[in-house]
Amino acid sequence: MTDRLSLIQWLSPAFPTGGFAYSHGLEWAIDAGQIRDAAALTDWLTTILRHGAGWQDAVLLCHALDPSADLDALTDLAAALQPSSERLQETLDQGTALAQAVSALRDTPLKPRPLPIALGEAARGLALPPEEIAAHYLHAFASNLVSGAVRFVPLGQNAGQRALHALHPVIADVAARATGVTLDDLGTAALWADMAAMRHETMQVRIFRT
Amino acid sequence: MPRDMTATGAQALQRSRGEAFAALKARNGRPVVAGLRQAGSAKAMLPRTGGPCEVVFLNTSGGLAGGDRLSYTLDVGAGLSVTATTQTAERAYRAPEGVAQVSVRHRVGAGSRLDWIPQETILFDNAAVQRETVIELADDAECLSLETVVLGRAAMGETVGRIHLRDTRRILRGGKPLHDERLLLTDDTLTAGAAALGGARAFSTLVLAAPAAQHRLCALRAVLDEPGTDAAASAMDGRLVLRILARDGWPLRRQLARALAHLRRDPLPRVWQI
Repeated sequence: MTDRLSLIQWLSPAFPTGGFAYSHGLEWAIDAGQIRDAAALTDWLTTILRHGAGWQDAVLLCHALDPSADLDALTDLAAALQPSSERLQETLDQGTALAQAVSALRDTPLKPRPLPIALGEAARGLALPPEEIAAHYLHAFASNLVSGAVRFVPLGQNAGQRALHALHPVIADVAARATGVTLDDLGTAALWADMAAMRHETMQVRIFRT
Repeated sequence: MPRDMTATGAQALQRSRGEAFAALKARNGRPVVAGLRQAGSAKAMLPRTGGPCEVVFLNTSGGLAGGDRLSYTLDVGAGLSVTATTQTAERAYRAPEGVAQVSVRHRVGAGSRLDWIPQETILFDNAAVQRETVIELADDAECLSLETVVLGRAAMGETVGRIHLRDTRRILRGGKPLHDERLLLTDDTLTAGAAALGGARAFSTLVLAAPAAQHRLCALRAVLDEPGTDAAASAMDGRLVLRILARDGWPLRRQLARALAHLRRDPLPRVWQI
């Protein structure tokens, strides 16, 4: 039970990873009128989870959990996979903050790495199935983006929570499929989500860092 | 009518194999051919003395069908600036008997630059293609790398509802990954909504891998206003990424030509005909 509680602590919004500052391009998509209601939010996040950074991060995380994995090689790959400057910043800054905060709880320091690799390294010692760790990771990712959308679209709190609830089967499915696949199974098609992250860089007024 | 043509085209094609390899090296500052191998349906046309240093790859099989294997390799020695492209757009037809596999492997030597700017790949309904492009850069080498995918020909009323495209592009500098892109288009992703393709049926990704790539970003963004296209660019340490989406191939080509004019010293290869 304490292993599960550790994971919940690391992925909670109260942990100093700073997730609230990053919108993964969502701020641009909302500003551009692509996301005006809960249905459009669910649709956008479903694509990111299934065909974008969700799937990609889940696969990288599951590989990083393997004690025999080369974490430096995964770190280089995770950085090279980022399609834009802010997406690179989003994964590196949060991963660095997570590694520092987990290090402060332990004797062994963790190196700064992209977020899914940092979490994978931190969670190696936990007696939890990779599928569960990936599902929690994706849930924290989706939950953070829903919180951003609730404030910025804006949506009612209940509408936001319904959107997140509707993503649970997607999260469970992505987490289940991400375990046991090879890096050759990485693959994305969230082209507009990438464009949104690129266009966020040139927005005049921004609340989020990405 | 176009669907019938596609079916006839696929039936007329035998499973083809093609392999073209060319190596260039500098002699007295000019490129000379250091190696050439061509087998099956693949050809490499080499630069003529005195002209711009262009290598044009060609698949003579008339298109990709299930089970085809095609490979292009270019080895650019030290101290050269080379443009490589393809003779025409590549067409991938319906693939009832497996996946067409395309392998592109280029090496770029010390101090050299390779512009790998193939023409578009047009995928017809039920096409299945797996393509892997790997460009290995020496520590101080540079490359410009383009992939363009067009789903059917919108102007001819063709729509694509079933597809399998796994398009991997890896650019390595000194053996380490610098840019890694793994596009996976399936039936699901065609209809996945606003965060996926939206309404786009043609798209390009252009990557400039060069130490000073970031300095091109502002000026590049200023030319991303071609009507009928959506484009965005970003730059990271040593790489610049441009993505263009459009409803069909023509406006995309116009935007692409303007972006390429900005990122290249030489004019577009003659075979581009834009």
